[in-house]
Amino acid sequence: MWREFLTVVRREYLKWVRVPVWVSAYFVLPFVYLVLFGQAFNLNNLFPAGGGAAELRTALLGAPDYFSYFTAGIIGFVILTTSLYAGTGVLFDKQLGIQSRMSSTPAPRSALFAGSLVFRSMMAMLPCFLAIAFGLAFAHVPGLVGLTVNGSVSALGVGEIVLAAALLSLMFTALFLAFGYAVDTNESYFGVTSLLNLPLLFTSNAMFPQSTMPGWLQSISAYNPISLAVNVVRENLFATVGYPFGPGTYLLGLALWAAFLIGVALLVAARELRAK
Amino acid sequence: MEHVIVTEGLGKRYADGVDAVRDVSLTVRGAEIYGFLGPNGAGKTTTTAMLTTLLRPTYGRAEVAGLDVVRRPDAVRRRIGIVFQRSTADADLTGRENLELAAGLCSLSRAESRPRIRELLERMDLSEAADRRVRSYSGGMQRRLEVAVGTIQDPEILFLDEPTLGLDPQSRAGFWRYVRELRRKNGVTVFLTTHYLDEADALCDRLSIIDRGHLIASGTPAELKERRGDDTIEVTLAGEAPDLTAAFASVAGVRAVARDGAMYRLKCARGEALVTKVALAAQSREVEIARVVVRKPSLDEVFLEMTGRAYRAEGDPNGSAKGAPPGGARAG
Repeated sequence: MWREFLTVVRREYLKWVRVPVWVSAYFVLPFVYLVLFGQAFNLNNLFPAGGGAAELRTALLGAPDYFSYFTAGIIGFVILTTSLYAGTGVLFDKQLGIQSRMSSTPAPRSALFAGSLVFRSMMAMLPCFLAIAFGLAFAHVPGLVGLTVNGSVSALGVGEIVLAAALLSLMFTALFLAFGYAVDTNESYFGVTSLLNLPLLFTSNAMFPQSTMPGWLQSISAYNPISLAVNVVRENLFATVGYPFGPGTYLLGLALWAAFLIGVALLVAARELRAK
Repeated sequence: MEHVIVTEGLGKRYADGVDAVRDVSLTVRGAEIYGFLGPNGAGKTTTTAMLTTLLRPTYGRAEVAGLDVVRRPDAVRRRIGIVFQRSTADADLTGRENLELAAGLCSLSRAESRPRIRELLERMDLSEAADRRVRSYSGGMQRRLEVAVGTIQDPEILFLDEPTLGLDPQSRAGFWRYVRELRRKNGVTVFLTTHYLDEADALCDRLSIIDRGHLIASGTPAELKERRGDDTIEVTLAGEAPDLTAAFASVAGVRAVARDGAMYRLKCARGEALVTKVALAAQSREVEIARVVVRKPSLDEVFLEMTGRAYRAEGDPNGSAKGAPPGGARAG
């Protein structure tokens, strides 16, 4: 079981490093979000001191400025974007007959699934830490807005942030792997993922404060796993006020989401890797 | 003798209601090279996929190494090796890495797999290319790597699905040698699907012919050839000779005579047995014979005889490497 699992992890790793475009995309993506998008899309500029600035500050629940709020939310964007491709590997393996080869070995089906899930979710998670690092660095670059941390960050807090990112990566990677197993054509895969991508993002508080949303959207956003993960990050980085729950509760919610989605994906993968 | 593959009434119906394989019953003995012959789309790959636990039979049952393929798929997978129709190697990885991954998925430890991989690379003449990416391999090298991957866990039973499709004659001969050697040295049972009649004839101890999902004949190549289609004795007379059609026709055992100038074609059941009588018939009329040849029917003729269709009309003699993917595949 363990050996087969590690074998799949190694295969994923080798395939990943052999495609330099992939590797560089992982580093470029957070940069693009923060430099090109984040610098321009800065709500602070729309509310000069006085008109609405105080309201904005309240909506940000203690984050010092909108860019910092946004950067903490980027964990949601980046993980969603990077895990979106998790299923493409499965699709290619299916089309190239590699999945038949793997299914024909005595390797446990769960090891085949778990190897892909673990490596790909780790890879999906890395760029969001890069994003936070970029954000912190930008604060020292003239002409750029940066991430200001005004909370007291503890080691436990860092652990909570990593755990939140890991759970979010695991559940999204599992979800998109499941689609990779379930559908047969690239067209249907990208159809499904593009249908899910933006709704998942826009029903979360990653970009916009929840309090500015209409009531129905607020209730969706409260349960959106992206919101839950972003809450954990913001509560740890900023001197926050007005969050109904502590990070532990949000982490519990994330764990439940992850357990549910990984469970479903495992069932889909096992069905797909069995003789039909 | 021990039967290592047994199927009874095996069949597969796909979701679209088409029966790709119908009611196939066959037995393969230990250490036998068994051929499964038929044109493209006859049901060869589907049958192989069921025997290798990749497809679930719709009806009937199949045992491999004494294990039911539906109830004990894991145990079956531990005992078999598969060489798929198409290369299943990762093109971005090297040949050695592909073998290491295959070994890992078969739960071989590093200590077990390292010498095994070295041996296989050497045997398949891939040692020099071992650390190059498979993307750069020629078609023949990819096929050899596929064989190495398929035999990584030293299987008791090796399934070869159209293994020589698209190989040049030299590579085919090398491949045949390797298959014979595996059987001789390791006692491996080989289940080989092919649409090359000459391959089945040259390599297999016994074979079955499948056509449109039905098994239409089984036996040794010689039996099949004997059962269907007569031998032909070609007699060419020397010099100016009278018409001997009647004389040859009167020889007991000769069923028909056709004359083409000085050459006569005599149809009979077993040509070797009649050569003397035919020669005597000519001698008694004081005619000298320049040449006598006994022609055995080829499997091509057997196939034509049994299906009423010429084999090559459906099979692709040159064998392009395209076709459905292994596993869920419909071709073969």
